[in-house]
Amino acid sequence: MMDKKPLFEEDKFFLSRRKFMAIGAAFVATLALPVAWFSNKLARRNDYIKARSAGLYQDDMIAKQRVSHANSAVEKYYAEFGGEPLGHKSHDLLHTHFVDRTKLKS
Amino acid sequence: MTQTTYQPGEIKGLIEIEASKCKGCDACLKFCPTHAIEGASGAVHTIDQEKCLGCGQCLINCPFSAIKETHSALETVINKLADKDTKVVGIIAPAVRVAIGEEFGLGKGELVTGKLYGAMHQAGFKIFDCNFAADLTIMEEGSEFIHRLHANVKNEPNAGALPQFTSCCPGWVRYLETDHPELLPHLSTAKSPQQIAGTVAKTYGAKVYDTKPDKLFTVAVMPCTSKKIEASRPEFNSAWQYHQQQGQDVPSYQDVDAVLTTREMSQLLKHLEIDLANTQPFDGDSLFSQYSGAGTIFGTTGGVMEAAIRTAHKVITDEEIAQLDFTAVRGLEGVKEASVTLFDKALDQEVTIKVAVVHDMGHNIEPIINDIIAGTSPYHFIEVMNCAGGCVNGAGQPIDTSGSGWIGNLG
Repeated sequence: MMDKKPLFEEDKFFLSRRKFMAIGAAFVATLALPVAWFSNKLARRNDYIKARSAGLYQDDMIAKQRVSHANSAVEKYYAEFGGEPLGHKSHDLLHTHFVDRTKLKS
Repeated sequence: MTQTTYQPGEIKGLIEIEASKCKGCDACLKFCPTHAIEGASGAVHTIDQEKCLGCGQCLINCPFSAIKETHSALETVINKLADKDTKVVGIIAPAVRVAIGEEFGLGKGELVTGKLYGAMHQAGFKIFDCNFAADLTIMEEGSEFIHRLHANVKNEPNAGALPQFTSCCPGWVRYLETDHPELLPHLSTAKSPQQIAGTVAKTYGAKVYDTKPDKLFTVAVMPCTSKKIEASRPEFNSAWQYHQQQGQDVPSYQDVDAVLTTREMSQLLKHLEIDLANTQPFDGDSLFSQYSGAGTIFGTTGGVMEAAIRTAHKVITDEEIAQLDFTAVRGLEGVKEASVTLFDKALDQEVTIKVAVVHDMGHNIEPIINDIIAGTSPYHFIEVMNCAGGCVNGAGQPIDTSGSGWIGNLG
């Protein structure tokens, strides 16, 4: 009779309430840690874009001139060579045309 | 005769997925503005090159670094720098100066204009700031907008189409050309700053540098992969055409001979053992390094519009704008809109200009386009940039590993 296997193995395994709570807490903590890490990473995932944009706005703030038409090099370009915006030379050199790419063949 | 979306001579197949590295995780799909990436989940993905814009957003967001560029001009540039007969002109895009420092241990977004000039000067480049060309772009594109606005208000026949789109972003231009060619009349005909810079360097610049135009080699340093395709467009040899008309007879050359991404420029400097972080600042060597604050903000979403408004205000009202910071078009919202009411001296009446700014194009542009097709668009002027955040987040920039490829840039 003693050789007969018990019907349920669970009888052999005993976990105190205290131990159960401790293991449970450790389990929840390992779950929660990456969640915090993950949401932090999520919240900061655009920071590099914002930092680079901020760098450009800083460049704007420290610029001697902040509007294109006040750039004296631009004035010089038009006076010595380019003529005027939308002028003949501008049309030839600074403007372009676009291509309907649904009609191209190779 | 098969259908293609490329003109003869254009770079095709710039962005490619390496089959041995692709895990089929699908992370790239949400970054592709044209749904050009094919392949079942778990299987190796491929790119439909006819649909691809070359924007490379998949490349910088692939968690497995499985996506690469197939074209690099790095070796050509190294050889040209060593060639005593060639003057190499470095055209520096706005967004490069706030990102290249990251490759040399400097902080995110650190502004390093002087050091970058210094490092490139040491490498043998003439300094041509693309921001100067951006200022020229504003003069041309802004004048074009005012021209179209006036013609429309006066109901002139053949008045240009409104809303007018900006045309600086090569991914956006190629998108419109492949997907909505019927809207091409809405694009500003002004060239992008890169192409203006190349053309000016080889025409007016040839006088400034006192060098034959075919002995000038223009290298654009860009935050962008798609700019490589743009530079290869066959029509972009206008400096050569100009000099042909002036009687010169040499084989054709492009306005922009080579494009290096920000990453490739940092590779070049490292190859030449130039440490940008410890380089003495340099001011530039010609008037081409002179630029305005409006030119520099071209590199971020909203910047082109803000720069255009500043100049349009002056042209329309004959007075400088009082508040230079036009904050309504700043920030990372997908579509930003604003309106400005001005007294138009030429028309002798008030005009209200409605503008919109779109970035992260794949997620935001279609409703705007549909409104225009339906004839219900409220806008007069629309800035479009393909990449989330604008050029500062272009695919040529240093890859920031804090970005999260699996979720998307802007969620």
